Amino acid sequence: MLGKMKQKLHPLLIKHLGRDRLEYFASNTMNIATQAFDSFIWSYQCQAKIIEVRQETADTKTFVLLPNQHFKQPLPGQHIEITVDTDNSGSPTARCYTLSEIQQDTVSITVKNNPDGKVSSWLHQYGRAGMILNISSPRGQFIYRSQEKLLFVSAGSGVTPCFAMLKALESTKKPVDIAFYYRTRNPEQTIFQKQLEQTGQSVTVNFSYSQPKDTSSQAHLPHQLAEMYPDINERHIYLCGPESFKNEVVAHLKSTGYDLDNLQVENFRPPEVSVDESSRLEGRASVLLKERNIQFEIDAQTNQTILEAAESQGIQLEHGCRTGMCGTCRTRLISGKVSGQQLGNSIYPCTSYPASSKIVLE
Amino acid sequence: MSENNKPTGNNYEEIHAAFEHIKEKHRRDLGDTDVHYIKKIRRFSRLFEIIGRGLIWILPGPFALLGVPFLFLHRNLESIEIGHNVLHGQYDSFDEIPQFHSRKFRWKAPVDEAAWRQEHNGIHHVHTNVHEKDPDLNHGFLRTNAQIPHNVWHYFQVPIYLFFVYPAMLYNFNSQNLGKNDKFREQRFPLGNQGYATFENSEALTDDEIKKRHRRSIWRVWVKEYGVFPLLALFTGSGFFKVFLANLLADALNNYWIALTIQATHLTEPLQPEDAIKHQGKWYVSQLDSSVNFKGSRLQSILWGHLNYQVEHHLYPDIPSHRYPDIALEVQAVCKKYNLPYKTNESWWQAIRNYIGLLWQYSFDKKDQQVAPSFLEKETSNVG
Repeated sequence: MLGKMKQKLHPLLIKHLGRDRLEYFASNTMNIATQAFDSFIWSYQCQAKIIEVRQETADTKTFVLLPNQHFKQPLPGQHIEITVDTDNSGSPTARCYTLSEIQQDTVSITVKNNPDGKVSSWLHQYGRAGMILNISSPRGQFIYRSQEKLLFVSAGSGVTPCFAMLKALESTKKPVDIAFYYRTRNPEQTIFQKQLEQTGQSVTVNFSYSQPKDTSSQAHLPHQLAEMYPDINERHIYLCGPESFKNEVVAHLKSTGYDLDNLQVENFRPPEVSVDESSRLEGRASVLLKERNIQFEIDAQTNQTILEAAESQGIQLEHGCRTGMCGTCRTRLISGKVSGQQLGNSIYPCTSYPASSKIVLE
Repeated sequence: MSENNKPTGNNYEEIHAAFEHIKEKHRRDLGDTDVHYIKKIRRFSRLFEIIGRGLIWILPGPFALLGVPFLFLHRNLESIEIGHNVLHGQYDSFDEIPQFHSRKFRWKAPVDEAAWRQEHNGIHHVHTNVHEKDPDLNHGFLRTNAQIPHNVWHYFQVPIYLFFVYPAMLYNFNSQNLGKNDKFREQRFPLGNQGYATFENSEALTDDEIKKRHRRSIWRVWVKEYGVFPLLALFTGSGFFKVFLANLLADALNNYWIALTIQATHLTEPLQPEDAIKHQGKWYVSQLDSSVNFKGSRLQSILWGHLNYQVEHHLYPDIPSHRYPDIALEVQAVCKKYNLPYKTNESWWQAIRNYIGLLWQYSFDKKDQQVAPSFLEKETSNVG
């Protein structure tokens, strides 16, 4: 009974208190007893509880998540990382999923079952309402930047960030001219088909099927975009989908002379990072401050410490002496490598230089 | 700077290396002992809390006072031996105790943690005893040296602090860290903040954010001590005001204890040169020169949050505090070898007398008051 009460309590707490006040309350009442009573609220981890599972198509499900107080409010188009120990091996796997819908208290991810994918197949098999997942705060720069004429171009499950932006734009009632091009195999495999068909008048939605059952229906191929949308050069394009699809669209846009500065592309997978511990880093390193959800880059050529690089980009990091003595800047290294003093997982950004191209700090 | 500081009798590179050597040694040694230590202190704190609150609740009338020392012990351990040291990041490198990581820890004290870390770790520990830089030289409006312009308030600084500020010292820290003390001086002092360190607002907080942080840091203590526990007592047939007053007394005692510990180990001349931090060896010496220990047993030291080892704490603020008694022996050896200052008072009482004497002395604006030169300055002038 207590369990059931807690199930109902979590959405209520987050709804009525809000994440900020809940964080204040939970962090100041954190102790062994409260942690044992409820490890969702009294936790140092950013977690989310699955509160609903919806079947979208035969192989796609939407999971509605209720994140706890450590989660920051996302922008439409951003993604989260979900970490699951799929085989109980002790070494969890992390995957990124775009938020397909964003509400005040909840977010949704829409996941296609990929038999080769560890996390997606695990989610499809075991994901149930009530389950708690370890998630990250929202990340990503594939977000709406206040333009007035838009074209979303997506394929497959790449529709999710575009759909999230579309939904958000609809709810703001801003006069934005939106065209939405979405390519899938056939109507059965079309995620959000119903919702997309019911959009308002200011949105033109075009479905394009690569393997339609009804061959009479007209399919606009990606290289016909310029024909479909004669005013394409006035539109800002948001592009998301499989690699081959994106390449095809980009090639087409180049051939039509489209200004590629107006194109935003979502990269599902970040470029693979090789962490070579011995070699000195050359080129650029990206640093993610996980808890604050800030990302910035360091050019190794400039010989800047992590602290200096952050400051040069207007990001404030806690610091004191700048010489590694006082420990004010001390923070935790979650992944990646830095050179400089290191104590277990603690590093000193004021005297540390990047030693891998991707660094995640607390 | 290099012009003024000609080669001196001391080789600062060597001094730096000697102090670094001690630090590295203890850093390499960090491990289970430290985790066990902090968890043990937390267990004792909880135990004292249960005994203290239990006695205050059960015992009738004035007998409830018997619970106050236990509640004081709980508040005291949480404030300094746990809180202060944890917020220095002394336990950040241990994955298994997230509750003691400096950015996750929540203080059972009316002080905003993030602002504290900025002011205390980032400014006071870096610019210790530097005029107009170190806010802890004044802790509000204290005049602790001849360089601070005198005004009428200073005539009364000893009674004002002993009777009014010390019983609420932690609240005073919080006001200082969030820039509220600056406003007081701006409004009431003829020269405003001249001679005082001012709030740097390194987090770029807006006024509303500052108000919110101030409110939240205090209310979490008040709701618990003066709301929840007195009300619990009321509903179980015990007295609301009995618990309220006992908690108030423990709060005041805790504040007073901390004030006497901290001020007695710091309010010491001389002022330090601002550029000491630019040279690591000299920075270590400036830290030695601006802190003063007082003697006590290991058990007593826990109740002082090991701040009676203020010298060691200032040399190595992020090394777990229970190591300071051992580190002290090594530091003393280095000081002896290079003839560096290492200041100790024989007892807490003596330390208190010394600094209250100093506060009294600077209550008055006398012509013969001079700014004492720091060890670093004396060294330079001897050679020059």
